[in-house]
Amino acid sequence: MIRRFLLGTALLGVCAAAPLGVAEDEKPKEQPAEIQLPPVPTHWKAEKPVGTSAGPVTAEMLSGSAAPADKWIQYGGNYRNFRHTPLKNLTPESVKKLSVAWAFPTGTTGQFEASPVVYGGVMYVTSSYNRLFALDAKTGELLWRYDHQNGENLRLCCGPPNRGVGIWGDLVLMGTLDAHLIAFDRKTGEIAWNVEVAKYQSGYSLTSAPLMADGMAIIGVAGGEYGVRGFFDAYDAKTGKLVWRHYTVPGKGEPGADSWAGDSYERGGSPAWTYGAYDPETDTLYWTTGNPSPDWDGDGRVGDNLYSDSLLALDPKTGNMKWYFQFTPHDVWDYDGNTQLFLVDTKLDGKPRKLIVQANRNGFYYVLDRTDGKFVRAEPYLEQVNWATIDKNGRPVVNPDALPKTDATFRTCPSNLGGMNGSFTGALNPDLGLAFIPSSEACQVFTKGIGAFREGLPYLGGLPDTVDATKGKAYGNLAAIDVATGKVKWRYRDNRPMMGGVLSTAGGVVISGTLEGEVIALDARSGKVVWRFRSGGGMRSQPIAYQLDGRTYVAVPTGSFSTMDSFAAGVTRVPEGGTLFVFALPK
Amino acid sequence: MSRVTLLLAAAVLGCAGPKAAVQSSPPTPPESPAQRFLRDPAAIERGRQIFIGTCGAYCHSTHDVERDAPSLFDCEWRHGGTDAEIFKSISEGVANTRMPAWKDALPQGDDDIWRVIAYLRSATTCRTPPASAH
Repeated sequence: MIRRFLLGTALLGVCAAAPLGVAEDEKPKEQPAEIQLPPVPTHWKAEKPVGTSAGPVTAEMLSGSAAPADKWIQYGGNYRNFRHTPLKNLTPESVKKLSVAWAFPTGTTGQFEASPVVYGGVMYVTSSYNRLFALDAKTGELLWRYDHQNGENLRLCCGPPNRGVGIWGDLVLMGTLDAHLIAFDRKTGEIAWNVEVAKYQSGYSLTSAPLMADGMAIIGVAGGEYGVRGFFDAYDAKTGKLVWRHYTVPGKGEPGADSWAGDSYERGGSPAWTYGAYDPETDTLYWTTGNPSPDWDGDGRVGDNLYSDSLLALDPKTGNMKWYFQFTPHDVWDYDGNTQLFLVDTKLDGKPRKLIVQANRNGFYYVLDRTDGKFVRAEPYLEQVNWATIDKNGRPVVNPDALPKTDATFRTCPSNLGGMNGSFTGALNPDLGLAFIPSSEACQVFTKGIGAFREGLPYLGGLPDTVDATKGKAYGNLAAIDVATGKVKWRYRDNRPMMGGVLSTAGGVVISGTLEGEVIALDARSGKVVWRFRSGGGMRSQPIAYQLDGRTYVAVPTGSFSTMDSFAAGVTRVPEGGTLFVFALPK
Repeated sequence: MSRVTLLLAAAVLGCAGPKAAVQSSPPTPPESPAQRFLRDPAAIERGRQIFIGTCGAYCHSTHDVERDAPSLFDCEWRHGGTDAEIFKSISEGVANTRMPAWKDALPQGDDDIWRVIAYLRSATTCRTPPASAH
């Protein structure tokens, strides 16, 4: 990019001082000149390797049952996605002593949704529009930086976020809004490889952090509002070579294709845009899928629309499916199944069980057996759920009033954003047996219209009329849910939807934030707020904790996307702009 | 030339004066298809359903609410408010925004775009639609 500045005014000044006696027609023509500045850099590499002498990130490190205390090396904290630090010194009392150690601006607008990763004394954090920063995790010093130059006319339904990097060996990996997956040398910022996952012009994008397992980077596409054919891929982390691709919508003649009317499966959406989970013990990968396309008109895709809104269990070596469970068959509300999965070992009716639990976007908290996908129970975790009840087999019994209509007036709950949503995380404290779930409490009027499919254009078929948000009636809760039973133990209520991620600590604290621009800490046992910090920016990120040289840090990216805030909660006055705050306990 | 002929000529010239003045003002533009659809309730309803199924959701609000995509029900038109200008914005998209080009993408082509414009005109909260709408 060349920056050009016209200097016509300056030249006019020079010419005005031309010597007297020069005939008018002999005066030099006054032409504006341009100064060409050098291209603005987009990639600042480190001249010398940065960070400590820590060796490559290994499978053993990632497979730990808890997130390590001195680092944060994966989006979910551990493969079970607990986002729970073993640090016991972050207590309801001690967090009152948190103070800002350093802060860092991203220079971008749009939601700052990342979970930072910390390894070898370096924090790797991504901003909206795919800036990747390597920062000294103790001081915030910028060590290297890469500003991805996304293609023009991105196909984004809901803003320009990125939720973080994966780390493996000596590489960090980032997916981009124009559907590339890029690996960087974590010590220098050099690009190791760059693959195009899909043609973004067809409606694809990547917003998730990749999940690193078995030496592979696993990442899925967004595009459910564009009628894409959803999929998620596994790439060899060293080389970027595609190992397997798993389509979330069957092809012609494949099992499940008959759950779509006609050829509607060809534009069936069902994106895989969030992070999965991995069970090293059984070598099983778990991934979730989103809404069938078009979102709000199911007339042309009669049937269950497999494997939309589902949980898939797969062999990570092949990508072959072991079993599936569909949460919302024939979804016409945009109730993506892509919310956070927790892998939980606990007792049910006195018997030890290996469970997978999820607060689904459709408003129900599901408990499944993760060895075979068998339904155990579902309980509403929201205060307002009226679109369906769940039968003994886990299948929704739909309220006919809640179906989209051309002249709809019925307030259906939850909204199309959920409940819980895949753009933010909860956390789970295994000692307390509680999952902490942020959510939006809002209802909408789902109206059906005429959609039209054309590759790369929005394919929606209707809209959710944001009646509660528009009237200022949308609000939020952060709920503590008994992991095994799904019963709500406490709720913290906020005036606007809670759409920020959560961190849990072994010291009994829950840390999250609000759209109005506060970072908050709550007592994990009671839900009582014990600390607030006015960040100014709406909270949409996934906070983390780590300890370096004996000092405990909490990192919270802040900054939201006003369009989505308005959609979810009504017009917002909070300005955009990403800022990362890192707090520390006293030395 | 007879007197009668002269009178006729004068009469013609006399008429020619005002007639010439009419010809020097801009000609009345032909009615846009949107105005024709605006008289057809079924066309307006189809335009509404296309708007709901295609333009709303995360982009233009069905209420007079601004998101990053503008409200289309107020008096403000960032890229021209005549029927033809709105048609161009929908058909060709708007560079450097999220607005894509819908030409040939709707089931009944250009007519569906005009029906959407007719719906927007019918549902506007603007009390005095711009004269250029016609």
